[in-house]
Amino acid sequence: MSDFDPGRRRFLGHLGLAGLGALGMGGLVGCASSASTSSGGGGSDGPVAVQSNLSSPQAKAAMEKIIETFNKQGKGSATLNTIAAETYRTQLPTYLTSANPPDLYTWYAGSVADDYASKGLLLDVSDVWQGLADYPEALRTISTDASGKQVFVPMTNYWWGFFYRKSNFARWNVQEPKNWTDFVALCQTLKGKGIPPIGIGLGDTPWVASAWFDYLNIRINGAPFHRELLAGKQRFDDPKVKAVFTRWREVLPYFDPKGKAYPFQEATAALLAGKTGMFLIGTFFADAAPKDALGDLDFFRFPIIDPAVPVAEEGPTDGFFASAKTGNPTGTKALLSHLASVEAQEEYIRHSSGIVLPANPKAKAADSPLVAKGKAMLESAQELTQFFNRDSSDALQPTADTALTKFMDKPDQIDAILREWQAGAEKVFKG
Amino acid sequence: MTVLAPTESPRQRPAPDRKPSRRRPARRMSPLLVAFVLVPFAVESIWVFWPALQGFYFSLTRWDGLEPPQFIGLDNYAEMAGDSVFRGALLNTVIWLLLFGGLSVVGGFGMALLLQKERRGIGFYRAALFTPVVFSLVVTGLVWRVFYQPDGLADQVLRTIGLEHLIRPWLADPQTALYAVILPALWRQIGYVMVLYLAGLKAIDPALHEAARVDGANGWQRLWNVTVPQLRGVNAVVLSVIVIDSLRSFDIVWALTRGGPYHSSELLSTYMYSTAFQSLRLGYGSAIAVVIFGLALAVILGYLVRAFRED
Repeated sequence: MSDFDPGRRRFLGHLGLAGLGALGMGGLVGCASSASTSSGGGGSDGPVAVQSNLSSPQAKAAMEKIIETFNKQGKGSATLNTIAAETYRTQLPTYLTSANPPDLYTWYAGSVADDYASKGLLLDVSDVWQGLADYPEALRTISTDASGKQVFVPMTNYWWGFFYRKSNFARWNVQEPKNWTDFVALCQTLKGKGIPPIGIGLGDTPWVASAWFDYLNIRINGAPFHRELLAGKQRFDDPKVKAVFTRWREVLPYFDPKGKAYPFQEATAALLAGKTGMFLIGTFFADAAPKDALGDLDFFRFPIIDPAVPVAEEGPTDGFFASAKTGNPTGTKALLSHLASVEAQEEYIRHSSGIVLPANPKAKAADSPLVAKGKAMLESAQELTQFFNRDSSDALQPTADTALTKFMDKPDQIDAILREWQAGAEKVFKG
Repeated sequence: MTVLAPTESPRQRPAPDRKPSRRRPARRMSPLLVAFVLVPFAVESIWVFWPALQGFYFSLTRWDGLEPPQFIGLDNYAEMAGDSVFRGALLNTVIWLLLFGGLSVVGGFGMALLLQKERRGIGFYRAALFTPVVFSLVVTGLVWRVFYQPDGLADQVLRTIGLEHLIRPWLADPQTALYAVILPALWRQIGYVMVLYLAGLKAIDPALHEAARVDGANGWQRLWNVTVPQLRGVNAVVLSVIVIDSLRSFDIVWALTRGGPYHSSELLSTYMYSTAFQSLRLGYGSAIAVVIFGLALAVILGYLVRAFRED
């Protein structure tokens, strides 16, 4: 679901952040320590307060519809409170730790949810999961916390891949590559035709580079190693991590040199205009694409490097978790069950703009070949990862941004970069 | 504190055992005046002083904003001493202070001198120079980003005058990012400083210049020996404004580069923000904030002490 995306939230939010500069030193702490929020949840019978960061117009309208339907069903009542995404991100810990927190929150599955669960802030929603027997096991796993209980209910997910324009590939007379060798050959061909083969947009959105790191790591070292690395159980200066960058270096000359100066939205424009060959990105990029270009878009999965490594794909999953302190656990769980239902998710898919997949296996995804292909890819994957910041934390993301952009600029310094990365990561894990 | 006792009405005042003194009128403060002092003080205490004090305390803790802060003494400061990103940010802040501060004083003063004489259409030029101050910094950031983008105006200008070889990703190149950000900050600040100096120049008694002219002083001599010394008061204001603006410069850097690429345009303020709110290391962020506070205090106090001594 594009609206959840970390980088876009960051990009948009940061425009608003400019004002924070004026806060100065006193303001730093004043802001961080203000533990009160006006949007507290209701009493035991009051309506369920839903805190949502789905602030794009379509997504907001879709959520309003879903809540309205729920209220009409008579199983409970709920109120929706939509908050600008960046504000939401910085305020979420405050909501959760306040004395009278809102009941239900939009957020991400996996490590980020588990992190809050480990601090005792999330409601055990195992009862809701009893009604979700047909949900795939992978979704259940990323909704389960370290102690084995479910704390999260997924609503949608999306996929990452190398997107390209069918008409351009036809014009350049090239095909989708099947493996790494094919991929390098494709890059060479495109470069020979004067097209920068690989688009990227790091200007405002350096986190886009993390997709390259994630994918190379899960293709070379496998998803379990990747998760351990991001959880601080492996080291970034490990030779296995260095192997990732050795591969990456093979294709560095094929990156669009302008990509480091502009954000992914402009990289999208460059791809659509045929100024770059392909672009490793999540489906949310299509939000910025004109409708007539959508039919011409296709994608291929990140090429296989080592066939012995089980295939994993990035399938960031968005959904809901609830506060452990909710005054109305029954109503909250009723609403969660509704949000997990075929009806609610199809309603959301109908209204949202991006190319997203419903989490409920019975709910119908949008009817397009691209969506069908993405759905098939995620279903055939043996493992799903989320994305760098979702498998680790928002706090670790800046260390990746620094290390990866520096690597792309100065690949010779990789040993020093990885040492710095490890040092930076240790600080984040230490707190 | 009898001085501040607002309940005492002036009528009851002439106490029989006290001799009326000359200072009496000062003691009789109207309740309204007292309120004007106390109410803002109370508000400031809650919104400024108390959080600032808390900031000092948080700088001695490890805190992720979720669990209670954990006291760790001076560990954050010790870490700072060995933090290469912090050192880079400190160096960049000094460069910023000197370049941004220095050039905006020189530029603002120069513009004020050029535009001080009343002439036809002078208002237009003054307004034109002041306009950037009016724009929100975020808008400024967006406009300059377009200017700097690949094949943007900056690149086109260079190409037109045959300097293609200089073209680079201005904001994404660690060599140029900091300077590329200083430029829009200056573009904005010069107009502001100009207005301050214009006001100062207007306040100089024309008779002084007349006298100097009669004594045979040329333009330069009049500038150095009459105008500049008369502007001492304005200088103090400009300096304080510049130092404070330099140290809190955040918005334009954040809007354009966010301290990147890889910390090359990082200032203390952006580093404070990113450690505190992105890496969620609020203790360390607070420690950086304390350093910024210390720097601002040192520079301004240093100047004020010198200024007073000269007087």
